[in-house]
Amino acid sequence: MKATLLGLWLMWLSAHACAATTLVINAALDRDVVAPLLDAFSHANPDIELIYHDGSTLEVERQLQAGTRQSADIVLSSAMPWQLAAVNANRAQALDIPEAAEWPAWAKWRDEVFGFTFEPIVIAYRLELAHAMRPPETHRDVLALLHAHRTLLRGRVTTYSPERSGVGYTLFQQDARYSPRFWDLVAALGAADVSLEATSRNMLEGLSAGRYWLGYNLLGSYALVWAREHPDIIVQVPSDYSLVLMRMAFVTRDAPHPEAARRFMAFLLGHAGQHVMAGQTPLFSVRPDVTGPYTAQRLRDQVGDHLYPIPIDASLLAFVDPLRRDAFMARWLRELKILDDGTTTQ
Amino acid sequence: MIVIEQSLRRRLLLWLAAVTLVFGVALLIEAYVSARRAADRTFDGLLDSASLTIGEAIQWQDGKPLVAMPSAALQILATPSQERVFYALFGANGETVTANAALPISDAMRRAAHAGPVYADITHDSVRLRIEGREIDSAGWETREPVQIWVAHTRGGREALIRALMERAALRFIVMALLAAALVWLAVRTSLAPLERIRQLLRARTPDDLRPLAVSVPLELKELVIALDQLLERQRASHDRLMRFIADASHQLKTPLAGLQSTSELALRSTDAADWHQALVEVNHGARRSARLAQQLLSLARLDHRHDEAFVVLDLVTLARARLIDWIGRAASQAHDLGFDGPNQPVMVRAIAWQLEEFLNNALDNALRYTPPDSAITVGVVTTAQQVTLFVEDDGAGVDEALLPRLAMPFERAGRQDTTGSGLGLAIAASVATHHNAELAITRAGVGGLRVALHFKRERLL
Repeated sequence: MKATLLGLWLMWLSAHACAATTLVINAALDRDVVAPLLDAFSHANPDIELIYHDGSTLEVERQLQAGTRQSADIVLSSAMPWQLAAVNANRAQALDIPEAAEWPAWAKWRDEVFGFTFEPIVIAYRLELAHAMRPPETHRDVLALLHAHRTLLRGRVTTYSPERSGVGYTLFQQDARYSPRFWDLVAALGAADVSLEATSRNMLEGLSAGRYWLGYNLLGSYALVWAREHPDIIVQVPSDYSLVLMRMAFVTRDAPHPEAARRFMAFLLGHAGQHVMAGQTPLFSVRPDVTGPYTAQRLRDQVGDHLYPIPIDASLLAFVDPLRRDAFMARWLRELKILDDGTTTQ
Repeated sequence: MIVIEQSLRRRLLLWLAAVTLVFGVALLIEAYVSARRAADRTFDGLLDSASLTIGEAIQWQDGKPLVAMPSAALQILATPSQERVFYALFGANGETVTANAALPISDAMRRAAHAGPVYADITHDSVRLRIEGREIDSAGWETREPVQIWVAHTRGGREALIRALMERAALRFIVMALLAAALVWLAVRTSLAPLERIRQLLRARTPDDLRPLAVSVPLELKELVIALDQLLERQRASHDRLMRFIADASHQLKTPLAGLQSTSELALRSTDAADWHQALVEVNHGARRSARLAQQLLSLARLDHRHDEAFVVLDLVTLARARLIDWIGRAASQAHDLGFDGPNQPVMVRAIAWQLEEFLNNALDNALRYTPPDSAITVGVVTTAQQVTLFVEDDGAGVDEALLPRLAMPFERAGRQDTTGSGLGLAIAASVATHHNAELAITRAGVGGLRVALHFKRERLL
């Protein structure tokens, strides 16, 4: 007991020696991707000590609900429906800073939660695939390839697991909204013995290792950087429609350090933070007045106007409805196996 | 004395402010109630759409309702004002089919929803929500059971709409109040303009200009102008009377003075002491006449110019008797028979003693002068139910009936120039009557002569 008290006192002392306040961030975002952003913030605000918890999207949500984690000031996550559900459940507070007011209306909800990145969803394939067949440019091409080259591609296709990844689940739900042929694609993926991964990084590592030839629905932010370092991987932004995922941030309602949280959000949504994002991370800045290699504006210029950001509004709440999720997962599993009988007899 | 009260403009504006305040509060309350109703009607329609859209998505599978929660329903529910949205679906036995929050829905509300759509305001998680519940009959292959759909959202949009409507109502009201104030100010200004014209006209008048006012005024000021004109008319009449009186008085004084002058001149030319004596007698007589005339003019002026004397309660009988006794002792009445006719008990009236005495003096003096010797002169008091009368009458020759009304005018002697009277006695009596609000009656007496009477009205007595 005495030791604990002493320890607490020492911690308090050290905290006050170097930083006036702390800031707890719960994030579903690899630390090395956002490191430049966090470093820039710490550099600009030496009086704030950052405590950064990282986890997968569903893990963050689970811990948030269970309350097992130290109460956070800010929650960052790419699991858009769960972020919106948290805000809808009154777990966020409205942000009254100019950066929030100026933020584009399509990238925020109730001035409480903000989409601060702009990440296209892409197809990635190995060079070998391009040698063997005409590489896919659209969703239809992927379905056609899976039908035409089923034997060649068997076991060499990967995508997100909708069970283990909130991002994956969201993307598939959104795909299913856009075209009923999505379920044909799921059936074809199932027939090709698709490998379901929890993260884009795992998929990219599999592609580089040669285990996979074709990856569907990868986060463009990771894939584009990866492809630059690995020339045998080619990234294709689908030319029919390309979903755009936005990571969402909100300040918790009972944030222990509200002032620090406000300063972090001002940095994140302000010119400085978005500039770092556009230049030093592949997260793509949303702000139209920021320049750099990774901006939403530049991406639009490159791939045209078929970018479809997943809307940040109440419609996302439908994805987290347990009944709808169960129904979706049931159909997913059914469609994944629907062609099995045919393939085993082949 | 002029007492300045509050300005008319200020009084009207104060009234307007009070009325505006009362009506304003009532209007704003009414505006709030109707704004709230309008906002609820508008937004409740969205609740309807959302719950119906969810109802469309209900399907039955394996005896259980299966709902692929439609995104559109939630978007409708959220409205463009980005409300936070809540929903709960219950099966036939009250079990939760799916929900995104544990909404406080009472059993009574559920029973009511059985009959038709229910709308209510609830508080969930310390936030006020508007909720709607409706029951949908849906049929599956195995089951045929109703499902209750409850949808709710925050009131942000409604409150914003109410605020906007209220702001508009308040603005309209303020503009109206300001316009009303400006109108009142203008109206007061223009309606007071005729008064200003009258004021300037009166100011510009010379002291002796007493003609009626020539001015155009609104109907409401007609009475005031008429009253002013009447006042001016009375002023002019009294002014004229005064001028005539002065002319008459001068003329009356001139005659004895001219007599004095000629008598004394004749005496001065003579050397006979007897002539001197005769002249002195005449001078003495003329001087007495002049003195008496001056005395009467003085009492008439006194009567006309003292309006502030206090009335006292006095006994008419005692006063009349005292006067009579005084006159019986004088040399002038030795040739006449003076008597009193009245009750033995006192008769009390409110009056000014010296004025009544002056009345009796003049009436008696007149009677003595204008009647032959040995005439009977009676001073009397008569009381009836309506009035009390003080009178002096004689049994002399009397006056021609036609001349009676003119007797009360100054210097009127009913054609008799043979006496030494001044012609002011009955004018003084008339003035006394006016002061006492009594009626002066000059009539033929029952015994043949003149009767001069003061009728006091009964209600003035005490």
